Amino acid sequence: MTEQQHSGPIVWCGIVAATCVLLFLMQQVLWLSIPFLLGIILYYMLLSPMQRLLRMGYSRNTAALIVGFGFLLFVLLAVLAAVAWIPAPSTAWHEMPSRYLAAGMRFLRNMMGALEQQFPFLQPAHLVDSVDASLADYTRGFVERHLTDVLVAVAAWVPSMLLAPFLTFFFLRDGRRFKRFLARAVPNAFFEKTLYLLHEVDQTARRYFHGMLKLTIIDTVVLSIGLWAIGLQSALLLGFLAAVLAWVPYVGSIVGCLLVVLVASADAPDNNMMAYSAIFVFIAARLLDDFIFMPLTLGRSLRIHPLVTVLMIFIGGALAGVTGLMLVLPLLGVTMVIGETLGVLITDTRLQARHRYAQSLRVKQASIDLK
Amino acid sequence: MIFGFLKSPTLSPRLHRLRETALLNTLTPLELKIVDGLMHERRYLAGEIIFDEGEEGQALYLVTAGHVQISRTINGAPEILTELSPGAFFGDLALLDNSPRNAQARAWDNCELAVFFRADFMGLMETDAVIGYKISLALARHIASMLRAAMNPDRPQVGAL
Repeated sequence: MTEQQHSGPIVWCGIVAATCVLLFLMQQVLWLSIPFLLGIILYYMLLSPMQRLLRMGYSRNTAALIVGFGFLLFVLLAVLAAVAWIPAPSTAWHEMPSRYLAAGMRFLRNMMGALEQQFPFLQPAHLVDSVDASLADYTRGFVERHLTDVLVAVAAWVPSMLLAPFLTFFFLRDGRRFKRFLARAVPNAFFEKTLYLLHEVDQTARRYFHGMLKLTIIDTVVLSIGLWAIGLQSALLLGFLAAVLAWVPYVGSIVGCLLVVLVASADAPDNNMMAYSAIFVFIAARLLDDFIFMPLTLGRSLRIHPLVTVLMIFIGGALAGVTGLMLVLPLLGVTMVIGETLGVLITDTRLQARHRYAQSLRVKQASIDLK
Repeated sequence: MIFGFLKSPTLSPRLHRLRETALLNTLTPLELKIVDGLMHERRYLAGEIIFDEGEEGQALYLVTAGHVQISRTINGAPEILTELSPGAFFGDLALLDNSPRNAQARAWDNCELAVFFRADFMGLMETDAVIGYKISLALARHIASMLRAAMNPDRPQVGAL
């Protein structure tokens, strides 16, 4: 069970195929896979304080309850602090979508106008008019048309999302018992290698989710500083939202950038420089992320070749949309560890022979008085 | 429930058996309970191989019932080195340096073993220094006694694996 052992092409094909099948199945039960993912993230966040309580002598049940309620209290306090600290918006909540949509369209119109002024050969194309007309067609009654769908979707997802804290509680309370239960089902000959496999799966998931949390904190700080420097209001909130959106590879970053550009355009309606600066901040943060922060946090967590990573992100997106993009890397990491270990177990003839011998001993013992 | 940490846990028969092993006899009941939470219980039939010589070691084994035979291939022929009784432990070198097993372990009769996985031990060393220190000291004493025995020309013995 070492890093020197490399799997062959057949094992790797199996790993990729198993990842695709799992992604497809997860997409079918999205209502369960998303809370499950959140539950795992929360589990790795709360595992350390839980272990500290266990060492103090608390039972697993009490420790899980204390940690769970402590986390809920922390979230509530953070929300209350945010409500008190972030200034109330000048517009009413129900008018906000239309306000930001209008601001975005104004930004686009101003940008096209500036382009036409800068490059006169674009004027015959009437960019401003044509883009304006298409956008007006698309956005006419946009909020009214989609608000009901959005509200219904949110209402449908609320019960499912409430599963996440329950799952976290049971992961914390019974995680170790479940691991021991799994290990008990393994024959003696494969026991040590299976223990190693379970440990590696746990470590891979832990490294990935810890890395992701660290990256979110770093992204929030960098983006908040950048957005605050260009004079945007609520820089911390926007930085945090954009950092969380970046959990979805590629698409998340673009959506985060769009969000900030809309807010910048709404905050400074006649000054496109604010939105341009926000885009610049985003590109700078993205570059820092790709070349410095990601290799330091997530880069070492999965040990997958970059080409395989990119290909799998595309496959994940094609198979399961946004969920696929989010889940494909941790799923591939875990499947890779399981596949490689199973490959070793199946091809180890000595272990197979020991297992057959142990089985024959058991049969002999069971039939000792049958002759 | 909240103040459960104030009362000292009572020892179950299993914890009693663990406490009788040379590795864990200095641990308090609470520490023993924590270590027990990390251990796996395995049952082997007489003659069943626990691990092979040269195999990569990932765990330490404590004998809680039955007997275990330790043998090594010397000049192409297997030679029995020692027989371990309840309370003894083996596979300790794997716990320390991830090295290959230097002998084979086989159940002498039907036996029960408590298995301490290497990663759990390392995790315990990081998260609970007191338990880690007590187990490390017991391991060091065990290795020192074997070294002393190996250096004694009248009574050579190899035990650590």
